[in-house]
Amino acid sequence: MDMLASILGGSAGFQADGNLPQEIGFADLPFRASWNIEGFATGWQSQIGRDIKIETSVFQAEKVDVSSIAIKIPQPKIHTLSFDFPESPQWQLAAQAKPQASGSAGAVPSSPVSNAPRSNVANSITRIRPPKDLVKLEDRLYYVLQPPLETLVSNAKLDFAFQPFPYQFEGIAFLFSRETAILADEMGLGKTMQAITTVRMLLLANQLRTVLLVCPKPLVTNWVREFRLWAPEIPVAVIEGDSAKRQWMWNQPGLPVRIANYELLMRDRELLQGNLHFDLVILDEAQRIKNRNSTTSEIARGISRGRSWALTGTPIENTPEDLVSIFEFLQPGHLRDGMSLKQMGQATRDHILRRTKDKVLTEMPPKLFRDAELELTSEQLATYKAAEEEGVIQLSDMGQELTIQHVFELVLRLKQICNFDPVTGASCKLERLEADLEEVAASGQKAIVFSQWVQAIDRISDVLERYNPLRYHGRIPSEKRDSVLQEFKQNPKRHVLLMSYGAGSVGLNLQFCRYVFLFDRWWNPAVEDQAINRAHRLGAAGSVTVTRMLVAGTIEERIHKVLEEKRELFNALFAEAGTPPSLGLNQADIFGLFNLKTPKAKKIA
Amino acid sequence: MSTTRGSDHSTLGFLTVRQHLELGYMGGFLLVNSLARPLEFHCTLPVKPTRAQSILYGPTLVDYLCGEQIARTLVSKAKLQPVVLFTDSPAVLSLRNLSEIPICCVSSMEGVGASRDLPLPHSQNLGVAVGELNGHKIVVNGAHREDWEFVFQRRDELLQQLDLLEPFTRIVEALQEAHPASKAA
Repeated sequence: MDMLASILGGSAGFQADGNLPQEIGFADLPFRASWNIEGFATGWQSQIGRDIKIETSVFQAEKVDVSSIAIKIPQPKIHTLSFDFPESPQWQLAAQAKPQASGSAGAVPSSPVSNAPRSNVANSITRIRPPKDLVKLEDRLYYVLQPPLETLVSNAKLDFAFQPFPYQFEGIAFLFSRETAILADEMGLGKTMQAITTVRMLLLANQLRTVLLVCPKPLVTNWVREFRLWAPEIPVAVIEGDSAKRQWMWNQPGLPVRIANYELLMRDRELLQGNLHFDLVILDEAQRIKNRNSTTSEIARGISRGRSWALTGTPIENTPEDLVSIFEFLQPGHLRDGMSLKQMGQATRDHILRRTKDKVLTEMPPKLFRDAELELTSEQLATYKAAEEEGVIQLSDMGQELTIQHVFELVLRLKQICNFDPVTGASCKLERLEADLEEVAASGQKAIVFSQWVQAIDRISDVLERYNPLRYHGRIPSEKRDSVLQEFKQNPKRHVLLMSYGAGSVGLNLQFCRYVFLFDRWWNPAVEDQAINRAHRLGAAGSVTVTRMLVAGTIEERIHKVLEEKRELFNALFAEAGTPPSLGLNQADIFGLFNLKTPKAKKIA
Repeated sequence: MSTTRGSDHSTLGFLTVRQHLELGYMGGFLLVNSLARPLEFHCTLPVKPTRAQSILYGPTLVDYLCGEQIARTLVSKAKLQPVVLFTDSPAVLSLRNLSEIPICCVSSMEGVGASRDLPLPHSQNLGVAVGELNGHKIVVNGAHREDWEFVFQRRDELLQQLDLLEPFTRIVEALQEAHPASKAA
């Protein structure tokens, strides 16, 4: 009963006399019921077993309207963003083109190539990333949504003559998405190949139609050769010939790639500043525009273009201002003179890609330095001492009229004596070189000898006649230079190539040489490094031995010491700030060679 | 589903729906050609289910939202019709009940092709595992087992050496570009 009472709640309950109510109703339910129950038998009545009398009657339930509420579930509103990327048909055409036979004769890559099995390289994934300063979402998504380079290359059947390294794919991905970029890889890492392959891909993607590549004159043929190797399907035109022919070539429609040298820019200045426009201008050896007041720099900056890339292993040859000048071509105003190294590093981080061999080429053959400390011959010593004493006295006597040019002339004179005695021709260096070359030739190897002076090269050549030396310097006509290199490479009897730093320090690929001799030293270690890296490149058969000739107790030793200190400073600062400080000798350094006081600061290259 | 849209018989679709704990569900749809190069990309703004939807759809909410709403909208936006649609989100398989396009779910191990910031939503999906393709497990809508046959027979022509999970990495990055708030700080 308690239970029943509980269920019935407030509308039901026992009466005070103990009988149940005769009618109950539920406030919430649409029916009513009534019954008649006599009280429970108690006392003696229960003892005689008399049943309780219950009478019930059922009433019809009242008809009730059931009302319902419809809850509408709203469809979620889906807002979308849509982007189209029209595909260039060129990709499909490339996929059908026949690649050049791999490793064919004469197709020696100047850029380092991987010996790794293709499957290993294919496993790496290189994604194209949008540059940080790219704002438009559609443009950013275009790059984000590109497949990994390895997939693209494989699917489009863009076979390479030689398998690139993963770091080279990284370089291509870096350039692909950038309108302004410096590829500043250390010499020998394949900047040429990376630039050409990116150009190839951008042409296929219809992102580019006209490209102008500007390089030093001696490197034009090298670039043509490299284009043939890495992008055989792309027509390349070298701007050359008389004025009429050049004008025709500049204006010729449908030429995807034009190659011009820096000197030519001067001559065709008016044409370049006319209606010509290029989707991309690449400056190779971009340190050529490090002086922003030079005509070359001015003309390069004036070329109408979409993208601007600079290739250089030494974005800073002397001072951070060199980099400011290169950026004046890439993105005027992005860098300013007087910025701290840290500020400069931050501002350029997304625009510069620099890798060094020790970081990316673990399989690079070792480079062994051997400093040959020599003693002057008696004839040289006598001449040297007289020249130095006389020279220093003269400089000291000049007082306020003393300029850096005067000091510089003395340095040059003393360096030349360290090479050869001007009267007798005696040379401690040449004696040593002859001895070393005997071993080189006997083992069937080849060597490159670098000197700063053509006269010295000629003298060395005469003495080394038995090794059939070849000469490569500024006085060799540029059209003959390629044949000199071919002869050196192919003729096993040609053991020595004599090169000047000026002509032979950039862009050449002589990785079949295992010996390099620096007969005299250049002013700037970056240039020396460039020279050494002609031979120390991937593809070299083995280690490269670099012999740096140095005459003890002379100006050469003093210069060497200053340069080594600078190199150490460079290494320390470049690692921290990402940009190196001055590398070459400045005015104070040169005056310091003779313990002279510096008048007014003025740097030299 | 419209059939008037263009198709070059090699266009592939990759569709994913990801869940951001705060922003909601977001979908991305990438159409690529045979070289895996992008042709179209569509993505949704984040969608959050209402309280009523959550209660009333119960465990089927994710399938409803990801497949029938988000994926369906994305597919309807595309100008090109893919030959086959790959997804890494099991919930998208429910779209197959509303679409004629064969759909294959590429099952990924946790973390592969996924993103810490935009994980795949859990789903009470109706998929059945049917086989392996290019090294990945394939699941199709149980009511459309013929999708597997369709793709398997054309695998050489359509897929070559394509990594079926790789495009989802691109889509997730694109979603994060489009919705920077979805990137973890």
